[in-house]
Formats: sequence, C-alpha cells, structure tokens
Amino acid sequence: MSASTLDPNKWVDRYSDYLFNYTIVRVNDREIANDLISETFLAALKSAKNFKGEASERTWLISILKRKIIDYYRKINSRKGKAEVKIKYSDDYNEGEWLEEQVADQFDKSAEDEMENQELGLAILECLDSINEKHAEIFKRKTIDGVETEAICNEFNITASNLWVIIHRARTALAACLEKNWF
Amino acid sequence: MRRKSTFFFMDCSEAAECCNKAQYKEANLFNKAKLLLHLVYCKTCQRFTKRNNKLTELVNQSKIETCPEEQKQQWREQIKKEFAEGKS
Repeated sequence: MSASTLDPNKWVDRYSDYLFNYTIVRVNDREIANDLISETFLAALKSAKNFKGEASERTWLISILKRKIIDYYRKINSRKGKAEVKIKYSDDYNEGEWLEEQVADQFDKSAEDEMENQELGLAILECLDSINEKHAEIFKRKTIDGVETEAICNEFNITASNLWVIIHRARTALAACLEKNWF
Repeated sequence: MRRKSTFFFMDCSEAAECCNKAQYKEANLFNKAKLLLHLVYCKTCQRFTKRNNKLTELVNQSKIETCPEEQKQQWREQIKKEFAEGKS
C-alpha cells in the first residue's frame, strides 16, 4: 500500500472504526462522535490536494479529526460562557475538607486504567489494519460484534471451516503484532 | 512431539482449532478435554494457547466498538458524492 496517495472510497472500511474509537473516548456521545467523523471526512476531501503523502492516510485523518474535536470543545465552551467553580461546603466547620477530597487518591487507578484501555483499543485496531483486510473484517465481526458463526458464514459466503482458518490466521497475526507493539 | 490424531489424541492443528473455538465458547466439551490432554505434552500448543487467551483478554479489556453498518453506509455515500463533485 503506497502511503503517498489517498483513496477516499476506502476510508470508511479502513479507518471508520479507528476514528470512532478515537473520538468516542474524547466526546463520550455517539451522535456527536459520528458528526465529527462526517465533518472529518468532508474536510479531508476538501483538503485532499494538500496531502503531501508524508504521513499515512490514517495519521492525516486523525490530525484533521483532532482539530474537529478541539473546535467542538471550543464551541460548547463559548456557549457556556464562564467556567463554573463548585465548592461544596459553605459552613466554617467543614471548610477546607473539600480541598482534601479533590486530591487524587493514589489507590484509585481506574482513570489511568481507562486511559490505558483506550490506547490498547487503538493499538488493536492499528494492528488489524496491518493484516489481510478480509481477515480483519471477519475477525471484527466475530470478536468485537460477537456475531454468530453461521451468520458470518452467510454474510461472507464461506464455510465454517473457512471461517475458523481465517480466525486462526487473524488471531495469530494480531497476537504477533500486539506482542511487538504493546506488551 | 508429533502425534497423529486418534480417538483421545488430537494433532496440533486440531488443538489450535479447538483453542480458537474455545475463545468464543464454541468448543465442545469432549474436544476441550482432548485439548487439555494435548496440552500436557505439547509445548508449542501450550505457548499458542497462552497467547491466544491473552489476546481474548486484551480485546475484552479494550472495549473497542465498531460503528454500525448503517452509519458506515451513510459515510460511504457522503464521500462518494463529495468525491464525484470535487472531480467534475
């Protein structure tokens, strides 16, 4: 695959899941995420002339998407006006305690774990990008969407044993890729 | 160690297939028992199984989602339309 040309008709198949997972953790709303991705595709088409081929298609699309996400937050912030500061305790007796409550609990790792999981998700999708496209598609249908074996066989017009061979190849390639890039 | 498959023994390719099916809870009980037996003596499949289980764990942990097909179709059409307009 040459990195220097754009192939817009393949964008959705190749990158939409990646873009979606990238966006959903940042805006936390499906509809907004979908809108932002639509805008990204349109903006990318408009500025396709400016694509120099120095970065990969995906990196380039992500850089456009990042701008769209920043713009989105700018917009809702200006709508809100001023930032609100909430301080819970008003009586003298408890004053100062809220400050302590704001301090991060070092034993509470859930936020960090969450972040790591997001990166893990993107790493998996990136690795899927590097394996056979059809295998990746079938792996996703089976593993992420949890579709029944029979339904996938019908969808792709393959036999069950074909499916398991494809799953085997996809899993082996994916594990090798993740081992290199993640563990 | 290579062993041909018999009633109680599976070869490595069968073991791998069973291990893959087990990741999706689609392996049958008898085959799973044969897989366990196979794993007792086969180092290669032990490594494969460990890796395969780890992959399932990571995928679950990552909570990745795919976009619904309707949404993708909508994007495809949008891009096709814009692309055609941009060209003409």
